[in-house]
Amino acid sequence: MEYVIELKNIDKEFKVLNRHEGLKGSFQDLFSRDYKVIKAVNNVSMKIKPGEIVGYLGPNGAGKSTTIKIMTGVLQPTRGEILVNGQIPYKNRTSNAQNIGVVFGQRSQLWWSLPLIESFKLLKDIYGISDKDYKEMLALYESLVDIKELYSKPIRQMSLGQRTLSDILAAFLHNPPIVFLDEPTIGLDVSMKAKIRNLIKALNKEKNTTVILTTHDMGDVDALCERIVIIDKGTMLYDNDINHLKSFFGAYRTLKIKIDKHAEELSQDIRDKEKEQIENLLKEGFEAADFTVGQDEDFYSILIDESQVHLMKVLQYLQEKIKIYDVLLEEISTESVIRKIYEDAENLKKKE
Amino acid sequence: MKRLGFYLKIYRKIVIQSFKSKMSYRSDFIISMIGMILTDISELLAFYIIFLNFPSVCGWTYYEMLFLYGFSLVSLTPLQCLFDNNWHLRHYVYDGDFIKYCFRPIDIFFYYISEEFDTKGIGQFLVGMGTIIFAWNKLKLPVTFINVLAMIVALFTASLFMIGIMNFAAATCFFLTNSGYVMVTMNKFRDYAKYPVTVFSTFFKIVFTFIIPIAYIAYYPSLVVLRPDHIPVLTWIAPAYGILFFFLSYKFWMLGANKYSGTGS
Repeated sequence: MEYVIELKNIDKEFKVLNRHEGLKGSFQDLFSRDYKVIKAVNNVSMKIKPGEIVGYLGPNGAGKSTTIKIMTGVLQPTRGEILVNGQIPYKNRTSNAQNIGVVFGQRSQLWWSLPLIESFKLLKDIYGISDKDYKEMLALYESLVDIKELYSKPIRQMSLGQRTLSDILAAFLHNPPIVFLDEPTIGLDVSMKAKIRNLIKALNKEKNTTVILTTHDMGDVDALCERIVIIDKGTMLYDNDINHLKSFFGAYRTLKIKIDKHAEELSQDIRDKEKEQIENLLKEGFEAADFTVGQDEDFYSILIDESQVHLMKVLQYLQEKIKIYDVLLEEISTESVIRKIYEDAENLKKKE
Repeated sequence: MKRLGFYLKIYRKIVIQSFKSKMSYRSDFIISMIGMILTDISELLAFYIIFLNFPSVCGWTYYEMLFLYGFSLVSLTPLQCLFDNNWHLRHYVYDGDFIKYCFRPIDIFFYYISEEFDTKGIGQFLVGMGTIIFAWNKLKLPVTFINVLAMIVALFTASLFMIGIMNFAAATCFFLTNSGYVMVTMNKFRDYAKYPVTVFSTFFKIVFTFIIPIAYIAYYPSLVVLRPDHIPVLTWIAPAYGILFFFLSYKFWMLGANKYSGTGS
């Protein structure tokens, strides 16, 4: 099998009642047959190879969850073809469930009042894991994270980080070919985030598990994903590897300048004024170019499209106008690239 | 569909584990148990006071009524202990958290229901058994193998009806946004289960026999031992009807679960 997941022109539509306003409208709605069709997923196609970690990104309400529900067999697509592990997921939810692992949302899927090891034992029975595989998996877990001390702890007494860790381990326990992780690092502290990322990476390497990861945290993307798929308003915007993404927007670079010696002592009002001043200066100096100016701790960051104007020219120009104490140059971050993609899609929509 | 043995094995493990974890919160365990027993005993007192003033209700004596009451308590125990999670169903559905039950390779209804084991019902079971045995003695009912077997079948049948009713009520949340009152209303009906259906008017007799079959929770099954000379046809069909009713409620529940698609996240 060349691909573990294959989606071909998948559409998913929902019927939503057109609601009327006011009390009278509510009564109308009671008898109304006035439905409108909302396309949550629009002509999405993708092929995913075994062992890939795919970052599935998009703003809230973009259709990420819907696509994942289709891939896990919970939802049936309105149109299009889908194969997961060579099966049509919605036709046989249970046998599809045997071959996937899912961590969905922030609510634990483990038995709330049971100690972790008892949850694992139940999962062993439910998925029919052999004693040998089960022991091997636990040994692997123990070598990767300090899980032993959590075994006797009920889920309800765990911290969010411990719970997330447990849920991820539970999802990999039956060694499924595919694991879906929905925002696995949300709400976690920095060290826990790093721990979870390392764990996902290690399990993916060790077991060659395909991981589909949705997230809003670009740290996750940078640490884990070689390939990203971006979706917005149900339509795919981007599907390629992450290096390509950066070179695609390679013309962008960020110039950071510090113009106050003791910036931390200045009030926000003054800082805002200074930012505006920089924006105005840039507008006067380079009429044809677009800039995005932001404030980043002591620095002001200026996103420059180098196909429009060269970064050094901007620096030279600014230096003549204002006193600059310190300068930093940065390649564009994944986060800015993705924001750019969202914004471009938005602008395109407006033009249409 | 996986084999019954598979589910029984998993279910046994879950129940043992949840029982253990419930016991570990000792004071909580004891207080909830005492609370349940007190509620049941206060109802028994109300019974006693009524019968201080009336020697019988529609031809039913005090001890016969006690028997029915005890019977209804025991037959409600499985619902209380094993199907309590139905009460939370609408919250899961409303918040979109129900989706988490859709990702395991097992029956969704089983997975959902098995998650919660409520120990409160045990106190109720003890009070119910005590009441039945007390009434049984006072009524001088014979203790024969047939009678005991009939009681077990009757209790089992009665449980299926109450569970079925609550399954139907809980599953309405898949179709209605504000389904809480359906469950509360249906739960109220179980208070009527402890009265012989003959005390109701014809209209309610039909409703409680065929539409919301609470008459099967105590009345029809217990006739086997209480009035062995006049057993109506409805009592004989009760076990089969009970299984069918439970099966239909399961189908209705699953219909809702399959319609469910979460609210996005």
